[in-house]
Amino acid sequence: MDALITMFGWAGIYGPTALGAIGSIIGCARAGQAACGAMIDVESGYGRLVGLSALPSSQIIYGIVVMFTLNRPVSVEAAPGLFAIGILCGLALMFSAMFQGACCASAITASKTKPEIFGLSAAPAAIVEGFAVFAFIFALVIAGEIPGSASG
Amino acid sequence: MSYYTLIASLPHLPTHFDVERPPISRPRLNQRLKDLDEPDAEVVQQLANFLAWDRQTLDRSEQNVIDDYERLRQEIHHPIVLEIVDNRINIRTIVSALRRRRNAQDPPRGVGQLVQPIRDRWKEPQFGLQKRYPWIEPFEQCMLNGEAVAAERHLYEFTWRLYSRMADQFQFSFEAVLLYLARWSIVDRWTSRDREAGLARFDQLLEETLGEFARLDI
Repeated sequence: MDALITMFGWAGIYGPTALGAIGSIIGCARAGQAACGAMIDVESGYGRLVGLSALPSSQIIYGIVVMFTLNRPVSVEAAPGLFAIGILCGLALMFSAMFQGACCASAITASKTKPEIFGLSAAPAAIVEGFAVFAFIFALVIAGEIPGSASG
Repeated sequence: MSYYTLIASLPHLPTHFDVERPPISRPRLNQRLKDLDEPDAEVVQQLANFLAWDRQTLDRSEQNVIDDYERLRQEIHHPIVLEIVDNRINIRTIVSALRRRRNAQDPPRGVGQLVQPIRDRWKEPQFGLQKRYPWIEPFEQCMLNGEAVAAERHLYEFTWRLYSRMADQFQFSFEAVLLYLARWSIVDRWTSRDREAGLARFDQLLEETLGEFARLDI
């Protein structure tokens, strides 16, 4: 039983990185595919299309930071907390990256015809990013309360 | 090619079909669709076949239309394509019924969901369909006044709005591609009216001038 609980603890530590990576992969792929399609249809401004398509990559970075914050010797006392925070934060990062990719793809298709709305069309993606930042910051805050941490 | 790439590569359709020319030419559109997977390409081909069939003149026999429709219904399985087909068949049925009533003929036999309701309410002003098809009244008025272009515009308006509403539900999916094609075909048909009328007039002039030699294949 202890081994199982310990395993969940490790899943919690590595979860934010793995789930954040999955989200970033899907999000960047979606937005990147849209950028490639838009490049067929426009004559200029390729760089900013590719730049926008890279926006969902931030979630994996947040995931790595959360992983390092949660990283500690995994005990039976610490494992449930590590699992809950790590997995929930990872899921939030994963979904935010996936849907941010869809927002970026929409922004790319909208702004290729009307380049003047490029900034505004990226606003929904930025708002989605904001929710990922909330999940990230509060995971860091609450990680200090897990038994086995410096303050816990 | 993913739907994200394909849809992003297609130029935006205008907000209304009444424009000078389609935003993308047919050869270029076909080129963009080339990279679809085989099952999707098959569905697109079915839609293209239907739209080409739908574009033919209405001078074919009823039995011919019924046979074609039955064959299409058996071949097509994609719900969006079926909806497009049914919508066009319903419009054809209503237009045919209005023409027949104007000419004091019997209700149409035909195919589709509206044949029986129209037969049941043959005497009513818009066959009792005005709520579902608000274009019938203005269309009939234009038809009675001999305003063919205005009548056609009412039909396209209705279909354009219907497809646009349907397209709002899809963004980067195969359904979005199908609805793009359906709307593009409306723009194409509307913008090529003058060209087709010009070609028909040219053929007529050629025939008047050259007689039977006009039909020789060279």
